Amino acid sequence: MPEASSLKSHYGRRGFLDALVLVIPAIPFALVFGLAVRESGLAIWLGWSSSPIMFSGAAQITLITLLGEGASVAAAATAALVVGARHLFYSFSMAPVMQRQPVWFRWLAPYMLVDQVFALCVGKQNLPTADFRHYYLAAGITFWMFWMTFTAVGLFVGPVIPAGLDITFATPVLFMGLLVTAIDSWQKAVVAVFAMLVTFILADMPSRSGLLIAVLAGLILGLVLERLRK
Amino acid sequence: MMIFTTIVLMGLGSYAMRAVFILLLSNHTFPPLALKALEYVGPAVMAALVMTMLLSPEGGHAPRVYEWAGLATAAVVALLTRNHIYVLVLAMGVYWGLGYLM
Repeated sequence: MPEASSLKSHYGRRGFLDALVLVIPAIPFALVFGLAVRESGLAIWLGWSSSPIMFSGAAQITLITLLGEGASVAAAATAALVVGARHLFYSFSMAPVMQRQPVWFRWLAPYMLVDQVFALCVGKQNLPTADFRHYYLAAGITFWMFWMTFTAVGLFVGPVIPAGLDITFATPVLFMGLLVTAIDSWQKAVVAVFAMLVTFILADMPSRSGLLIAVLAGLILGLVLERLRK
Repeated sequence: MMIFTTIVLMGLGSYAMRAVFILLLSNHTFPPLALKALEYVGPAVMAALVMTMLLSPEGGHAPRVYEWAGLATAAVVALLTRNHIYVLVLAMGVYWGLGYLM
């Protein structure tokens, strides 16, 4: 069916382009990871192997940095797991839309469920099943190839990161844009502001654990507000 | 070898956290309360994530004025135009512009 195949390439292309916009501001982060590997004193292939094995930027940096500082393996692993625990929310959030997907995709998709892929796909859950899959795969694969390449590049060019033009701020900016366009009720707006506030107040908690509490608090507030709506 | 084993275990852990609900709930009907809560996961996580990115990983660093201004610009432009290219250009413009002046 020619219509179906053109639609397929359409959503695949959109996923690729949307991911590309988020890839560029993440380049410094990938280079910083390469630098963290060098400073850790671990063999560089060993540090980089965490990119394909874990594919989880902040958790990788936490693990490698703590191991390099001589923390115990248990302590480093625990901190990295806490940093990565927000993915539990992504998994929960994506569970209903994944029910309609083929089994192979349900097993593959979690491997690519990084922040950026979640941010792009959480608002696309009403797409037809195949379109959602093509969009998700295109965004996921784009981000995967970027992360493998630039964490490797960072192993060698780490020290020459240009400090002049700070592009990393584009990530929170784009996430803010995705957040605002995903809000379709005042309850969600209140929950978002509340979750930001709680994260800010809990900024000093270790390993980003404040984020987890903020999300849970936001969910509870959301359910309370739902009650009020009736 | 110890380190590599740790990395592999962490890889399994990362995958498990992302897969657990997708795989375990693949054949379950969601109760109404869970479906309601689900609607709020996206906004709550995204909001908390944006704030986390402004704070340094070690904690303690308060976001600067031009960071707040950049984020506020992003929110307003997204609300008015729903266009992510405008969001990017205008918010980064405010962020760089104010950062340069201050």
